[in-house]
Amino acid sequence: MKDDAAHWGEGVCVDPGGLKGHDGYMNREDESAAGATMAERNEDTDNHRVSTTFRDVGMLATVFNNLPVAVFCKDASNDFRIILWNKKNAEITGISAEEALGKTDYDLFIKETADFFRNIDKVVLSNGKLLDVPEEKMDSPNMGKIYLHTIKVPIVDPERGLKLILGICEDITEKKKAQEQLRELGENLSEKEKQLLKLNENLSHANEELKATQLQLIQAEKMESVGRLAAGVAHEVKNPLALLLMGVEYLSDGLDHGDPHVPQVLIEMREAVDRADNIIRGLVDFSSSRQLDLKATELNSFVQNALLLVRHELTRSNIKVVKHLGSDIPKVMIDKAKMEQVLVNLFINAIHAMEGHEGGKLEVRTSAKNLKRGETSHDEGSRSGHQMRSGDRVVTIEILDTGTGIPDDKIEKIFDPFYTSKPTGIGTGLGLTVVKKIVELHNGSLEIQNRQAKGVRATLTFKACDES
Amino acid sequence: MLVDDEEGFTNLLRMNLEKTGLFEVGVENEADSAVDAIRAFKPDVLLLDVVMPGVDGGDIVAQLRTDPELKNLPIIMLTALISREELSPDAVAESENLIMLSKPVNMEMLLKVIEASLGKKA
Repeated sequence: MKDDAAHWGEGVCVDPGGLKGHDGYMNREDESAAGATMAERNEDTDNHRVSTTFRDVGMLATVFNNLPVAVFCKDASNDFRIILWNKKNAEITGISAEEALGKTDYDLFIKETADFFRNIDKVVLSNGKLLDVPEEKMDSPNMGKIYLHTIKVPIVDPERGLKLILGICEDITEKKKAQEQLRELGENLSEKEKQLLKLNENLSHANEELKATQLQLIQAEKMESVGRLAAGVAHEVKNPLALLLMGVEYLSDGLDHGDPHVPQVLIEMREAVDRADNIIRGLVDFSSSRQLDLKATELNSFVQNALLLVRHELTRSNIKVVKHLGSDIPKVMIDKAKMEQVLVNLFINAIHAMEGHEGGKLEVRTSAKNLKRGETSHDEGSRSGHQMRSGDRVVTIEILDTGTGIPDDKIEKIFDPFYTSKPTGIGTGLGLTVVKKIVELHNGSLEIQNRQAKGVRATLTFKACDES
Repeated sequence: MLVDDEEGFTNLLRMNLEKTGLFEVGVENEADSAVDAIRAFKPDVLLLDVVMPGVDGGDIVAQLRTDPELKNLPIIMLTALISREELSPDAVAESENLIMLSKPVNMEMLLKVIEASLGKKA
């Protein structure tokens, strides 16, 4: 047998003797037929005609051995003994053709591996069709860890008594490595892409913050110049006002002017001085950027105290006060004096809106909640809206009245300086402007809207103290 | 005694104070010569403007406080720069003989503060 094999030249690959019960077209007698075509010897079937162009078996063997894929053949009718084993197979398995031919997988591999091959062979035979194993891992003694793409084909020819398994293995290690690299590169790329997206997100976030800061800076600068202007105006106007007041005081004091209207004239002059002074004070308040004196404050009692400050106005206008003060309200960092100004101002506005209407009701509610997404900026005009983020614990004070409400075309303007709905001489038009400014200094928000029923709802929101 | 560069104001204020019959009133409209005038007049209480051309009220106070005879002189500073709320009633009691009052000030308020200052001195 070995001699037969040797006849095939380098890397003997066929074991003709392995084909038991076959007439053996590759036996020793073939040698004498060297130079004759295979077809001359194997007349009828297509299988044999295929070989017609090869001059001899040796040539076929050379072709087999030069195939870049491993090719083997097992004879299923003889215990799956190996009858064909080309050079590439020897390279991959480290088993030479001499060693392999005539052996079974159990002679060549450990039992586990042999079982695996044998099972596949049986499946291929019983299915009677090609089996494609796209990827198999293997430890090659020559080539280390390699990957194989194996195709097993059953060759069954009852007439000739053939029952073979043809195996073709392609070494796809390089392909696999390339794929792996590609996959890694892909992963790398998507990781880079993620990083890039993240960076981009950070960048646009930073950009937004920058814009907000810029707006704040512009606003701060504006306020500073308004502040300087206001201080200058205050000084220049207050001095003549002081003089006027002194004059009025002098004239008011008990002298008989002979004209019955003089006392009234003097009262009105005094009121005019007061009014001008109020406006100047409002301006200075509005523009002053004095530091807040922040203290952790319990809101419910603070709100009740502020209500006490307007009790005369409430009684005079016959307004009922309803308090819904929540329990467990966290403390809030506020400047008490400034926030008192805010509450009193909002209360007075509510009271004025209800004056002259019977059965006015001023409702004050306090509550605490966690800010939800989308609630972070109550007031679109507020540049400090971003100071409160979703998830923040916040405290709200709601002030609801049953008054006349705010006409829709006016509600946009209520925070504008010098906008007032009150008759000349009653309001300075700076109240809500200052109120809003104070709330913003506290990083809070103030929202004023008409209620569905009647009247106005003012909602103040502040971030709760971290410790409470 | 009144020190303020606004002559109209000092005139009217003096007239108002004299009308009460309680005070003898000295007036100085030149900030530069204010300290000398105060030393000469020796007032029981000083009404002092803050913003004046040349020397301002703060400088004058500083000079007076280094003078042994005048360092305890009650001073009421009249200023157009601060808001009225900033004067709390407690401020009079707590102050070191120095009280800030916002212009315009009415006589009722001014007389109360003057009385409080003089009371403290006595």
